[in-house]
This record gives sequence, structure tokens and C-alpha cells, in this order.
Amino acid sequence: MTERGKIAVVACAGMDKPIGSVTSASVFKVVETLRPQEVELVCIPPLLAGVSTYSELIKNLPVITVDGCAERCATKLVVRSGGKIRGRIFVPDSAKKYNLLPESASHLGPNGEKLAENIAEEIASMVDTLTKET
Amino acid sequence: MTLAKWKVGIVSCSGEEIPEGTISRVATRLVLEKLRPDETVTICLPLFLAGGEGERTFAKLFPTITVDGCEKRCAEIGTEKYSGKPFATVVVSDVLKKCHNLVLKSRDKLSAEEWKFAEKVAAEIAKKVDEALSRQNEQLRSEKQ
Repeated sequence: MTERGKIAVVACAGMDKPIGSVTSASVFKVVETLRPQEVELVCIPPLLAGVSTYSELIKNLPVITVDGCAERCATKLVVRSGGKIRGRIFVPDSAKKYNLLPESASHLGPNGEKLAENIAEEIASMVDTLTKET
Repeated sequence: MTLAKWKVGIVSCSGEEIPEGTISRVATRLVLEKLRPDETVTICLPLFLAGGEGERTFAKLFPTITVDGCEKRCAEIGTEKYSGKPFATVVVSDVLKKCHNLVLKSRDKLSAEEWKFAEKVAAEIAKKVDEALSRQNEQLRSEKQ
């Protein structure tokens, strides 16, 4: 698959909240296990720093954003970088939907792991839909 | 607000791209939760870069330690750009060079060896925290005299 056929995923780092760790865990499951060939995980800081390869990816690929809190940094930053958001996940909403919460930021625990798996499946499903469209 | 004077802000790269980024995050959490829980706070890098005023103000007023996964040094460069020079910087890829046989593999699940490495990085960060606090103590003492 060429890079052009890929889907970009941009997730918040969520360092200061346990739910942010779920964000990272879920996207890692997508990129390492569920859809490694279809997804390009884009790191936010170099994107903001203006590293051209990252901004080109954001401008050229359909983007899925995954936000861990109401600040919605991933979404804001993709919009600011000129990206086209085609799918969005708001992890606090997913936590309510599945009634699952992580134990802490460093240790997700069984519920946090399950939540990350569920969100990863949702992202993978979005990736499949967008891949068919491209 | 004497208590607030003793805090050090740790700014970790978000590290989505490479396993070194995951080590940055895990090591930072180890410092925050286990090694120096009363002396440190974390600053969310994307929020900081996106314009979070609280984060930027904190980093202007308090010492910061940046933890970067790779040579792009996004946390260090971002902190310096928006709030001032960090007190210290830890670059995981540099620490890794000293561990000749270790190859980091996963961003998701750390192996026992990778956890041990994260603990090593966390210990380096904690050492820098102590240095930052020591420096603050010296400044406070000199201000009182």
C-alpha cells in the first residue's frame, strides 16, 4: 500500500490524565496490531514545530483524531495545520459509553485496557471505512 | 504560596512514533507517581504547544525538565520557545546509547527489560529534579540573607 492510501491518526499525548493514557494505548493497538499497514500515526509536537513531512501527511491524508480531554488538542492542531478530519474519537465519551475507566495514568488496569481495546476497534473500523473511500 | 516554590515541571514528548517516546512517557509517570510525587507536576506537551496559558505560565515561573524520545527534541525546543530554557533535558535515545545490548521494540507493551530501562531513565529525571530543587533552595537562602 502506498503512503497515499493510508489514513493518518493523530492522538493527544494526555500526560496529565489517566484517560490520556487510554488515548495513547488505543492508537498503539491500531498501529502495531490491528491496522499496521493502513495507518500513519502522526506525532503532534513535530507537526506543530512545522516539520514538513508531518504537515504534508496531515494535508494529504484523511485524518482521524483521538482526544483525551475537553481541550481537544489533537483536533485543534490538525485544523490549525490544514488537515481534513474525517473521523473523531473523544475518549471521555467512549469511557461513558462503555462504562469503563482506567485505574491510573501509569497502570490502566483491566478496565482501562478493555476501554483502550474498544476504542482501538472503533478506530480500526473508521480506518476500514475511509480506506474504501480513498 | 511557599509550597508551590518546590515544584518542578516535567515536560515529556508525546512520543507516538517510536518506542523511545513510550519510554519518555513511562519514565515521566514513574517520577510523578513513585520517585518524586510531591515535588513534580507534568505539563501536557500538546496542550502547552497549542497555547495552554496555564501550562506556559507555570513553565515560565518554575523550573522544567524536558524528556525527549528522540533527537528532534520537541519538548525541549517547545519549552524554550514558549516559556524559557528548561533547567535540564533528558533525551531517551542518548540514554539508550549507553545500554549497548538493548533494542526497544514496542510502543504498546514494554518488556521486562524495557521497563527496567524506563526505570533507569526515571532515575535520571529524578536526579535532575533534585538538582533543580537544590538550586531553588540555594536561591531562597541567598534571598533571605
